[in-house]
Amino acid sequence: MKAVKATQTPPIPDEAQVLAEISEMIMSVLGDYAPPEGDAAITLDSRFGDDLEMESIDLVTLSGRLAEWYGPEVNFAEYLASLELDEIIELTVGRLVSYVARSLRTAATAAAER
Amino acid sequence: MARVQANGVDHHVQVLPAKGAPLGTAVFVHGAFIDSLASFYFTLGPQFAEAGIDAVLYDLRGHGRSERPPTGYTLQDFTADLDALLDALRIEEPVHLVGNSFGGTIALDYAVHHPERAATVTVVESGPATQDWAHTMAGALDQATEQLPPEEALDWFVAEYGAIASTRQGDGRHDAHIRRLGRNAGKFIATTTIARDIPDGRVLSDGEVRQIRCPVLLINGSEGLVAEQTAWLAELLPGTQVRVVAGQKHSVLVEAAEEVGALALDFVITEADKAAALEASLDAALEGGRTR
Repeated sequence: MKAVKATQTPPIPDEAQVLAEISEMIMSVLGDYAPPEGDAAITLDSRFGDDLEMESIDLVTLSGRLAEWYGPEVNFAEYLASLELDEIIELTVGRLVSYVARSLRTAATAAAER
Repeated sequence: MARVQANGVDHHVQVLPAKGAPLGTAVFVHGAFIDSLASFYFTLGPQFAEAGIDAVLYDLRGHGRSERPPTGYTLQDFTADLDALLDALRIEEPVHLVGNSFGGTIALDYAVHHPERAATVTVVESGPATQDWAHTMAGALDQATEQLPPEEALDWFVAEYGAIASTRQGDGRHDAHIRRLGRNAGKFIATTTIARDIPDGRVLSDGEVRQIRCPVLLINGSEGLVAEQTAWLAELLPGTQVRVVAGQKHSVLVEAAEEVGALALDFVITEADKAAALEASLDAALEGGRTR
């Protein structure tokens, strides 16, 4: 996937769109290890560790893709650093989607107020 | 993410820039076999960046997303990689080294051989490479690689690592995670010389350890693996600070990240402030000398 930095303010994506975008990033990070097409799709309930078998270093790559795609306001490293280890082990795609959508809304509100 | 060629090896590097004007640069060195820069990327890295310190994280050769050459895994190889990496990144000021487990051994070796480039060293659950250390490593690795068939070696690894390293053994999810890491480590050991190279690398004499000039902080879990090494190092280097995190084992970095981060940051910022104050007073003295 090619990251294209937005040059104008795009509409804030809703959670369904964020899920679609993040799913595509996950598939690309997993590469050969990605679940085959038509297999159980990535859902809001998919866990990064147990279901997607992602290693922590895969999450680092995902973090870079998120920042490239959404901009620096989506700081996955900082978000994970704020969680307890149990929460990280149990982390679902849904929690990441909520975090991204929330960050984008906050950034848009801040931009509108400036 | 950046790819940086250093010492002939393609390294995966992540830089988390300081918020505001940087007070200095910290370089994080992760542990061996099952570790990667992720252990710092999701723990101390963002904490340091937030506190105003540029955080440089890299995957050691063979680990994470760095290149995996078939040979070249002695301590001196890892130290040479780190030195070449600082050159490649054009980091000229002395850096705050933060090493976890075997990464701490690399950081201390680096401080001995490149004293001009180390501002401080923070070591989590580790110590310098000594004869005893090399002997222990050789024994453990020999057991994992030679004496057990591959499938049992993996079980052994999971059981041993879970018991010695983590407070979470018996938690099914955590065990599954360790099993995945174990599979990767098994492949790493089978396809490279790392298991032979680490115990065969150079060790430090007492005299060399005494040459460490920069401030050193040792952070251990109270149930960790290195209490003896820590006592020995603190005796050799009287200024060494030691902090113990209660109830933690060898994996204290990721299992008590907030506490370890607070201890490391407090140490690094205090020492950076002291160095800055010293530099300012030297400048003032020089200025005074010139105007007299």
